[in-house]
Amino acid sequence: MADRVPVSAPVSGDRTPGRPAGPGRFGRLGRSLREAVLGYLFILPALAVFAVFVFYPLVKTVILGFYRTPPFPNLPSRFVGLSQYRSVISSTAFLESLWRTVLFVVFTVPIGLVLGLGLAVLANQRLGGIQIFRTIFSSTVATSVAVASVIFYTLLNPEVGLFSYWLGHQGGAGILNNPTLALPAVSVVTIWQNLGFTFILMSAALQGVPDELLEAARIDGSSQWHRFWRVTLPLLSPTVFFAVVVGTIGAFQAFGQIDLLTQGGPNNHTDVLIYYLYQQAFLFNDTGVAAVLSVVLFVILLILTFVQFRFFERRVFYGR
Amino acid sequence: MTASAVTGGPTVSPAGGLELPRSASVGLEGVTKRYGDATAVDSLTLEITAGEFLVLLGPSGCGKTTALRLVAGLEEPTAGLIRIDGEVVNELDAKDRDVAMVFQSYALYPHLNVRRNIEFPLRARHVAAEERDRLVAEVSASLRIGDLLDRRPAQISGGQRQRVALARAIVRRPRVFLMDEPLSNLDAQLRTEMRAELVELHERLGTTILYVTHDQVEAMTMGDRIAILYRGVLQQVGVPQEVHDRPANAFVAGFIGSPPMNILRGELAATGIADGLQVVLPGGAVPLPEPLAAVARRRGLTSLIVGVRPEHVAVDPAGTLSGSVTMVEALGHENHVACRLEGGKLIMVRLATGEPVPRPGERVTLSFPGGRLQLFDPVTEERLDG
Repeated sequence: MADRVPVSAPVSGDRTPGRPAGPGRFGRLGRSLREAVLGYLFILPALAVFAVFVFYPLVKTVILGFYRTPPFPNLPSRFVGLSQYRSVISSTAFLESLWRTVLFVVFTVPIGLVLGLGLAVLANQRLGGIQIFRTIFSSTVATSVAVASVIFYTLLNPEVGLFSYWLGHQGGAGILNNPTLALPAVSVVTIWQNLGFTFILMSAALQGVPDELLEAARIDGSSQWHRFWRVTLPLLSPTVFFAVVVGTIGAFQAFGQIDLLTQGGPNNHTDVLIYYLYQQAFLFNDTGVAAVLSVVLFVILLILTFVQFRFFERRVFYGR
Repeated sequence: MTASAVTGGPTVSPAGGLELPRSASVGLEGVTKRYGDATAVDSLTLEITAGEFLVLLGPSGCGKTTALRLVAGLEEPTAGLIRIDGEVVNELDAKDRDVAMVFQSYALYPHLNVRRNIEFPLRARHVAAEERDRLVAEVSASLRIGDLLDRRPAQISGGQRQRVALARAIVRRPRVFLMDEPLSNLDAQLRTEMRAELVELHERLGTTILYVTHDQVEAMTMGDRIAILYRGVLQQVGVPQEVHDRPANAFVAGFIGSPPMNILRGELAATGIADGLQVVLPGGAVPLPEPLAAVARRRGLTSLIVGVRPEHVAVDPAGTLSGSVTMVEALGHENHVACRLEGGKLIMVRLATGEPVPRPGERVTLSFPGGRLQLFDPVTEERLDG
């Protein structure tokens, strides 16, 4: 490539009178082409990784959904086209599971966000020993889903669990086996587990709000409440938006706590979409239905995220 | 009628408000602010009359901004009383003190457009929309930012942001304006323009202004009075001319003026003629004129600090003080010459145009024609008066 430069140099350097000086059209085109090639070379490694681990599986999953899994292993799977998509989407099991997922997201995301933000605001004050509280509030980020689930499994145990005792659910089947309480219970575990992450996010964002703006607002006669709504929150909006998008996606994909606490029970009352998918894929070995569910979940999240960007991002202030 | 639309806030005149004087006195009485072991403001006592433009002047870290923040209610004094309009406001929250502040960084709300920024104090006080629109239109017209109302702070220039910050302070007609180095982020030309505009604004509004700056030119040109702070301690309060002509101590003398007064330490010696005295300075001895010599004699001093303004030093072949020129600053209307005396001390000489200017490196002798010196105590550095 480098040996082309001397060849083109006399062309672009041709300074005949009456002609504008500077690089000729040819030279400029060559340079932008070289830049483009170089740019693609730089993203090639990432592209390769994505292709192997994301794009190929995605396409393969969509295709898998077109084939009905045979009732017995070693029989050939049969191409059924979109009919499997239609039957899965219209099935009661799927719709009920989707509804439970929506409930789960609605329970966990807003409450988790408000709690995380609230704790961050509380811990953002200049008080002696506040570091201790900050550490405590962010500690769940270092806790795995498994640990959180085991802790709450014990607390919710109908025989020895403290929560069961406080809530008057001693003996019997217990909260996790109660059809109305199981999903809220799993949601509480999820909120608790995510709280540390949300807290850290919000704390970091709060540190980014200039003191001077809040002081200016104070002198302008703004009450604490007014300052929070009119100054702090707008400046936190990019982080809140990020937390909502990431939190929603995370909630749709919650699996560990459900598998460890309820296995989708009692009587499917905590059988959210991802758990339903897991059961189809690994308990019933129905890869066709599981593939359809994967694709549907992907599309739901895609649409939801698009909607969030479309409607809520307008209210986000990115600064500068 | 309009006044009733404002709840818990300032009253606004039906006529339009902007021309109506509204101001309060500010009093500080033994105000001290400590941060741990560090004392930012040390028993500051200062009385600012209603409608006055008082400049708090001092080098960075002298406590002037802390003093301002104490008045604003953003800091609580460790000791002492703060009064606004005669009323002690120590316990009053910043939002209830009815003062407005202009920050060095302007502190405009970046997520709000100019209109919403200016409206902010009105909205915080639940002023009715109609009244709000009228006030914003009025104040933005008077500050010539009416065409910027829909822009965000990031989309306007530094000078325009400065005006928006002022508009936000003015719009609710506070009793006192607090200004924390409001011009220091502007370029030199704009700063000079805004100086004049602020003075004009003060004359128009008649509101008390407490203005913090480290720029003594700003202080001299804008203030009705200047209060000079150093290391948290008030050094002198007075009208600009008085502070300039009769500095209370060597610090004030060395801080005011451009270039500031030369401060030289010297020993006292007899001239041998009658009981005349001379001061032996690093580069030679200069005679002490009689009224000043009498002061020194009366106090029985053996050494003292001499202050001499650059315009009262002359390059004089018959001078008794010798040194070499290190730098010449030609400003067009005058020349500043820096001379290094033999002891290593720098002395500034201000020469009017037309006077011959020595070249850098040249050896010169200096004199103090007319003996226009100021004397300061060698220990306390206080001014020595007759």
